[in-house]
Amino acid sequence: MAEVQNSNPTILNVADLPTRSRSTKKSGDYDYTSGIFAAVPNPADFLSSDSEDDDLLEEPIDEQEIFDLIKLISDPEHPLSLGELAVVSLPDISIKPTLPNVPSSPLQTVTVLITPTITHCSLATVIGLGVRVRLEQSLPPRFRMDVRIKEGTHSTGDEVNKQLGDKERVAAALENGALMQVIAKMMETCR
Amino acid sequence: MTGEKDPRNLMVVFSILKVVMMEWDISHYVELLFDSVYNYFPITFRPPPNDPYGITAQDLKDRLQDCLSSTSQLAPHTIPALLDKLDSTSPNVKKDALNALIACVHSYNPDTVSRYSITIWDVLKFEILNAQEEFLSESSLEALHGIGQRLSEGVTEISQDLPLAQYLRPITKECNEQLQEPQQKQAKPAQQILSALSSSSPVAFTLIVQTVVAPIFTIYQEADGIVKQRALLETLSVLFESAIKVFGQWTTRGSEASIENPLLEFKDQFSDVFGQALMGSAKEEVSFRVSALKGFLRLSTLRDFFQDNEVGLFVQYLDEILLKEESVGRDDLKKEAITALAEISKYKPRLIMDITFPAFVATLPDEDDDTNTTYLSTLDTLAKISVERDIFETLFRRLFSKLSVLLQKEQPGSVAYPRAILMTLLYVMDQRQMESDPNLDLYFDKIVVGLSRNVAEAASGNAKNQILADPSILDTLGRLCNLLVRSSSAQKQQQVAENVYSLFAAPADFLPVPFSQNTTADHERTIILSTYLLAGLSKDCSHNLPYTLPNMSDLLSDLVRRSLSESTEPATSLAFLRHLALLTNKFLSKQDLNIAEKLFDTLVSQEPQSLSPAAIRTIFWLAKSLVLRIAPTTTHILTSLLGLLSLPNQQTSISAARGFAILLGDDDVVSVVNGAQVRLLAKQRVFTTVIPLISSRIRDVNVAGNDDASQVAKTSDHIKPAHLTALAGILSTISTALVMPELPTLLPLLLQSLDLQTADSVAVRAATLDTLAVIIRDNGVAVIDQCGHVHSLVMRLLKTTEIKTVSGAVNTPRLRVDALKCLYLLATKQIVSEAAPNARAPASISPLLAEKTHVLRSLRYVLDDPKRDVRKAAVDASSAWLRGVDDAPEEED
Repeated sequence: MAEVQNSNPTILNVADLPTRSRSTKKSGDYDYTSGIFAAVPNPADFLSSDSEDDDLLEEPIDEQEIFDLIKLISDPEHPLSLGELAVVSLPDISIKPTLPNVPSSPLQTVTVLITPTITHCSLATVIGLGVRVRLEQSLPPRFRMDVRIKEGTHSTGDEVNKQLGDKERVAAALENGALMQVIAKMMETCR
Repeated sequence: MTGEKDPRNLMVVFSILKVVMMEWDISHYVELLFDSVYNYFPITFRPPPNDPYGITAQDLKDRLQDCLSSTSQLAPHTIPALLDKLDSTSPNVKKDALNALIACVHSYNPDTVSRYSITIWDVLKFEILNAQEEFLSESSLEALHGIGQRLSEGVTEISQDLPLAQYLRPITKECNEQLQEPQQKQAKPAQQILSALSSSSPVAFTLIVQTVVAPIFTIYQEADGIVKQRALLETLSVLFESAIKVFGQWTTRGSEASIENPLLEFKDQFSDVFGQALMGSAKEEVSFRVSALKGFLRLSTLRDFFQDNEVGLFVQYLDEILLKEESVGRDDLKKEAITALAEISKYKPRLIMDITFPAFVATLPDEDDDTNTTYLSTLDTLAKISVERDIFETLFRRLFSKLSVLLQKEQPGSVAYPRAILMTLLYVMDQRQMESDPNLDLYFDKIVVGLSRNVAEAASGNAKNQILADPSILDTLGRLCNLLVRSSSAQKQQQVAENVYSLFAAPADFLPVPFSQNTTADHERTIILSTYLLAGLSKDCSHNLPYTLPNMSDLLSDLVRRSLSESTEPATSLAFLRHLALLTNKFLSKQDLNIAEKLFDTLVSQEPQSLSPAAIRTIFWLAKSLVLRIAPTTTHILTSLLGLLSLPNQQTSISAARGFAILLGDDDVVSVVNGAQVRLLAKQRVFTTVIPLISSRIRDVNVAGNDDASQVAKTSDHIKPAHLTALAGILSTISTALVMPELPTLLPLLLQSLDLQTADSVAVRAATLDTLAVIIRDNGVAVIDQCGHVHSLVMRLLKTTEIKTVSGAVNTPRLRVDALKCLYLLATKQIVSEAAPNARAPASISPLLAEKTHVLRSLRYVLDDPKRDVRKAAVDASSAWLRGVDDAPEEED
């Protein structure tokens, strides 16, 4: 990186990023699994095996899960994640059936809108590519990716979108060793 | 001096030069001497292989640094030269330069340091604001801190003409500018700079506070968003942190700083702003409120800052948050509030007792009427803030009186409430050093003697209610008594030993359980408490125990008889088993061991059809107590246990297989803490005895299955799963260090365990995957490759990740996640990190490479698993394989 283009971006606190609340318990309920009462097992439990009632419950892939997949990608310029820099955000992710007229089709399209930290960021393409690669590696084959720059947040947004939407160009970019190295570096922080 | 290259000579030369520079007048030769040393900077020495002299680069660097920092006269040369070196592109050179600079700052005289202070700042500023490497920024901050300290030496009065003030002026100016937009990235280094300098001395702290705090308040008032305000609160907290370093906390000993704390001037403002942020902002702004809370807490612990009523106000805020507010999200604010109260209890226990206790105890109900369980979180909080001695005493009195009232009620409501009270007491006592508590005797009398007596009353039906006859209450009370008995004096312990079964009750009122006929369930249940009392006693009390003369034979037989009964309640029956195990393991003398061994033999050699599950449990608990102390017949015991697995009765064989988890499993009662005899080699002994036997037995079954198909297989279908279950039970209770030497024998067995498919085998497979995960994590792929099982392992793991299987195998989500974790570990642990650097493995192709395509293709389908946790694990595993498994081994350096 020859020169840092935006040296002083605004940072969001990690604790403030949207997360999935694990349990859907009512407020006021005491959480037995933490706190002082967890240490002593209830003697009534010692013979019964833990129930697996919710095994059959299906948890479909949702926007939060997509966000969790991409929020930890690091920015190529800063040692910060895309989530912290608000480059990707939960409201800008949507999942829709690819073929709305065919209800039985399992195909789904994920749309991710990217907000570059500054309007002339030349790395927007690389970030978009990184998000795309991460999703392609992490989602099942029945998903289609649509990664775009959010409207009005980039001076050459249309051009970048054209690049990101072009299957051939994306494939060609992924053959480029130097580019892949940058992207691999961005992915290192994904856990 | 430039030509010398030998590190031995250089070590000597540097020492000599240092003496010359320190002891002689070198004013005419400064440049000469400087050049002769500095020529060697930076040191790029690398000791030869098999270095015979043991001189490291660091040794040379240290000596060189001592020369450079030896006298202030070198400063005109050293400091510009070192600052120049910071332009270098190598982080190592920069690091050496910074270290030398720090050394110079600490040893040159203050006047000299002052002369260069601003120049140094101008250069280091860049390193901190545009940090390339964390450690460079840290060293730079250390240098700035050092300068601050040196310039404060001997300063007693604050004025703007001080060299220190001149040094700080450009720094605070820069920081104020960066803090104009405190939520942006550059504000962080500005905070670090303020923190480093303000903690260098009281004077520096005062000068900084005078110029920084007022502008921060201005920005705060004009701030257009909560994000910005939050960043400002955090900046102020950084200053409070420095204040604590400089002026100390309430409990800090030693003299006070000579200067008045400059923050006092802003005290009311701080109180308003932080109080407003904490209590006046929207409830959803959790992280904003947490920042405010942390800042407020620091101010409350700062020595001589707040008055008690001001800290009290904060305590009231915290009480309000904990008692009145609904929980939001992950409850971070409440957790912080509890931590804060616990922190304050160290400095101002009086305030907690006067304000928090009455408020909290008032919300505790008289009984649990099943409508409201908020008392749980109240008790939780009380427990966490009551570790300090005075507070605990208050807590004990309040809770014990609540409990006493409950015990006297005709309609006491749910037992969950008294149990929670007991657990609260248990938690706090566990946190404290009860042995040295001056009130131990009081607690002993009230709980061990008093409540035990009440239990006896309840068991004979003479109590107002049946709270103390409930098994969960007895268990919790038992743990509490156990803790107290362990901490008590030998004399008290003897008293307990005599009353283990009579529970301190008068003989007319209560009949001890052992040897009593026609017992009721309520009566037998008191054995739970007796067991915990027994566990707490020291070994020396064995002759004080009742029913042990002339030996324990009768007592043990009676316990076995009771354990064998199928109609006993589960909790009571477990207590009988533990009791039996405790007596044999801890109190039975060596010469009497044959009593227990005979009991064991009688039980094992019974007719197989009379081996009920209860009998099998008794056998294994008895075996556990003997094996842990490595009784002389250990091998015989283990062989007999394995024999049970091959019994033709399937039910017996399966329950025996499950019993193996008991053998070495950790138990809360038969534990080292309770003085049980657990020999160090016991686990190893069991493992090395059992594994070869299991392995050869399974081989026999496999061979027999191949030879004559139908007939024999029908009757012995269960034998192999039973052995594998037993194996899993043992593996889950021992450390992998013991497993490793046996790996070649063990791995085929583990792979066969993964081949099990039924729903019954889920636990076995889960335990197997756990073991595999630990093996892979600690030892890498190499050990599995050496046994030649990589392919079979990967195939089986992949099969376990499938949700719809051709063979109809049942893979629960937990199994799928565990299998994926193993796959992930395989890819990430290809090279074991601890391998010695000189023992470099020959550049070979990863054994995983052949599997890569197949693994990645199979995982694509797992990415569509209906369970979120499984998908997450699949993402991790597939990206690890994608990135980690490569044709060429990673290049080193």
